[in-house]
Amino acid sequence: MKSHPVLAPFVACLAAFLASAPEVFSGPPSFSLAWSEYPSWSVFGVAHGLQLIDGREGKLGKIESKWNVDIVLKEAEYDPCLTMYGAAQCDAVCITNMDALNPALSRPSAVILPTSTSLGGDALITVDSIKNVQQLRGKKVLGLSKSVSEYCFVRNLELLGENEKDHNFSNMDPGAAAMAMQQKQPDVAAIVVWNPFVLETLNRRKDVHVLFDSSSIPNEIVDTVTVAQASLDKPGGKEFACAVIETYYAVNHSLADPATADDTLVALGEKFSHLDLASMKKVVQQTKFYSTPDAARALIAGKDLRGVMHKVVDFCVKHEIVAKAPEVGYGTKAEAPGAALRFDPSYIEAATAAK
Amino acid sequence: MKAAAVEIRGVHHGFGDKPVLDDVNLRIGRGQFLALVGPSGCGKSTLLRAIVGTHLPRRGEIRLFPPGADAAGLLVTGPGRDRGIVYQQYALFPFLTALENVAIGLMLDETSIPFRFFRFLRWRALRRRHLEMAVEMLARVKLADALHLYPHEMSGGMRQRVALAQALIMKPEILLMDEPFGALDEATREELQQHLISLRSENLLALDESRTPPHTLIIVTHELNEAIYVGDRVVGLSQHWDWRSEGHQSFPGATVTYDKATPHSSAKTDRNFGAFAMARDEIRRVVFEPQAPPGRNEHVTYWKTRASPETTDEPT
Amino acid sequence: MIRHPIPRPAALALAVASILVLIISYTVLSERQHRLNPGDTTLPTWSQLREGVGVAVHKNQRTGERWLVEDAKASLGRLFLGLLWGVAGALILGLLMGCFSPAEAFLQPPFSLLAQIPPTAVLAVFFVLAGTGDNMYVAMIAFGVMPTLAMTVHMAVKEFPEELQFKAYTLGASHAEVILAIIFHQILPRLLDAFRLAIGPAMVYLIAAEMVVGDVGFGYRIRLQSKLLNMSVVYPYLACLAAFGFAMDGALRQAQRRFCPWYQGSRG
Repeated sequence: MKSHPVLAPFVACLAAFLASAPEVFSGPPSFSLAWSEYPSWSVFGVAHGLQLIDGREGKLGKIESKWNVDIVLKEAEYDPCLTMYGAAQCDAVCITNMDALNPALSRPSAVILPTSTSLGGDALITVDSIKNVQQLRGKKVLGLSKSVSEYCFVRNLELLGENEKDHNFSNMDPGAAAMAMQQKQPDVAAIVVWNPFVLETLNRRKDVHVLFDSSSIPNEIVDTVTVAQASLDKPGGKEFACAVIETYYAVNHSLADPATADDTLVALGEKFSHLDLASMKKVVQQTKFYSTPDAARALIAGKDLRGVMHKVVDFCVKHEIVAKAPEVGYGTKAEAPGAALRFDPSYIEAATAAK
Repeated sequence: MKAAAVEIRGVHHGFGDKPVLDDVNLRIGRGQFLALVGPSGCGKSTLLRAIVGTHLPRRGEIRLFPPGADAAGLLVTGPGRDRGIVYQQYALFPFLTALENVAIGLMLDETSIPFRFFRFLRWRALRRRHLEMAVEMLARVKLADALHLYPHEMSGGMRQRVALAQALIMKPEILLMDEPFGALDEATREELQQHLISLRSENLLALDESRTPPHTLIIVTHELNEAIYVGDRVVGLSQHWDWRSEGHQSFPGATVTYDKATPHSSAKTDRNFGAFAMARDEIRRVVFEPQAPPGRNEHVTYWKTRASPETTDEPT
Repeated sequence: MIRHPIPRPAALALAVASILVLIISYTVLSERQHRLNPGDTTLPTWSQLREGVGVAVHKNQRTGERWLVEDAKASLGRLFLGLLWGVAGALILGLLMGCFSPAEAFLQPPFSLLAQIPPTAVLAVFFVLAGTGDNMYVAMIAFGVMPTLAMTVHMAVKEFPEELQFKAYTLGASHAEVILAIIFHQILPRLLDAFRLAIGPAMVYLIAAEMVVGDVGFGYRIRLQSKLLNMSVVYPYLACLAAFGFAMDGALRQAQRRFCPWYQGSRG
């Protein structure tokens, strides 16, 4: 934070000038949500298509009007979404519980909504000659380092009583790893990838199989909508959170209603790697949505989550994903004041109570 | 002069449908300094390139008679180290110094890539000798203090002198020059002409001592003064000749319309400016003026006024 | 005034000023970002950057390696090998194309086509060609820079004056000598120029590939650390890359001055 003494006045003047750009837009307060293609996050893209919300700045959909808040959707790849959130270029982001820890260290955040959990959506795929985890020892396992893939891999090893040190996890982008495996590259015998790469690889190469996947660790890899505490504290912050939550459940309602389920799923598929209906049905099995407020509350208020987050934080510290363990809190800001990352069910309650 | 060095026999050439040379015949004796003149577009350079071997004629042949060759001589089928060339432009390799430019011929001629690579020590010793020879050669063209200059650091005159040294160090059977001084100023030009004259003096000295004259030269020039001054024989190549009298329906190409000794060709003749001017006027009239084109052999009298080279006494 | 030269001290002062402007602009941006969010790590302050450098050169307890050393070894090795193969291949193929018309007719169409395709876009092809190991990066860089380089060599050979070629023959050169002892020397500075211009693309290809497949190297580290928002590590890494590119450029410039002293002057 220190700048050169000679330059300091300069810098301060310039900074003040740049920061004092006047507000030109008036209307309902505007909040942005960064999302990437993922089954339970593409919901927001679908909601925009259905005009439940309008992702453009200055335009309001049905739910936005109700809460008098303008939701701006920013679609990007997952990694840029994280960067955007870390650089405070958006108010909220679709992120996993694990990846939320690091930005929360510099930008205190609240998980306002768990959207889904991986239940087979992350998987270790091996060639058929590797039949059990013992045979995997020493073999190169390709997947994205310091991501849920590695977490899923390490947790499964733990459950199977394996020592992590006997295994060799090596970094590769999941798309590239899936491609290399589909090409039958000789030195690619085991990959940890997520959907759609899991489905795709199993479809296109018949002599491979899933050795283990995230179905053994339900409710551990949790997809969330996370909002910066500073944004929640702003006027309209709470309404924004409620609008996002209502939007999510509205689309889930369409998914549950037999009359609209297939159509909504197809729309969701269009926003997720253009998967067809059959694949999407498989995908939503492997990515279990917390499709009702009750399911979400059960997770956040439940005892298991604390144990899970403890494991996740441990993992992140051990694998140098976070420089120090962030404090994880549960409940409202008043209930957990010092938390960097807070799981807060109060917004779900507020959103559903307003019905 | 003595034995033939080069014979040009019935050479025809053309570009596409356009005829350039028609039945050119020339016999060039060893030790001759032949200046090739003619109006622009007459095919002087084409003929020279045919002798270099880079652009072979359509019909006819060019034969070389190096010492030791049999009576049939050697047919020119491509460029070779027995013919040196000095061009007007691109005279030197730009990436070599004056010294290296002169020495490179010795390297290319006497050694091969495998030799230079696998017998490196032998090559280094040889290279030292090459460089010594090149220094000597450059001293002869008065460039002893410019050994390590690159071509772009030299004046045009210096470059042409290096180019001359580069060709001479190879001791070519015949030295070919294509408008070598065309781009130079008058003073530099005269200085270089003087160099060529000194080569001719070497020839005369050799003849006096009954040795084979070391230098045979064909110089293409558009400067008549230069031709008469440097050459001891001037050959005029011209489009303006009476081809209709030979029954041609259309222009068949340029041919030799003039071939005579210059006034000072004999060692005994002093430079006579009167004779000089007369020769120049005659060449201009016969070769350059389209009016009253001469017949093919009207002014081709060089060999008629002296014995044919085959019959003359060959130095032993 | 247009194209009017300025004195050297003035030029130097302007150069320093431009760097200062960069530094000040960054400081301002960073200051502003920290005003917005004091915990920001995306535009680190100078002290954060110093810590980041510390992390990058700190000896890892588990592997006993320093990140920067480990990554530099991997990336620079790949870059050198890739460029080496690329330049060697381009030189051979460019000479072939320039000297032999059949080779020209055969190679020019694919090269002009391939020169337009960024190799990073056809990752799958390189997997098949060279597997997923280090060879893949080398192949990607080599094939990435080769078409443009080969075309440059080809053009340079085409521009070689035929008079000099003929002269070489009259001086007793063999065909091989005309190519290796004459034409090669003439095009060498042009090759070095093209080599310099190829470093940038080669680094881009390498970093892009390492971001996707690497488990060590600059691209790998930059991607991971960017995702973890450790820009205080990422920016020093980028500075290292820039410094390396700069050094390589300077080295090639020196090489050109050293091995082709005739070139600068003869162009004017």
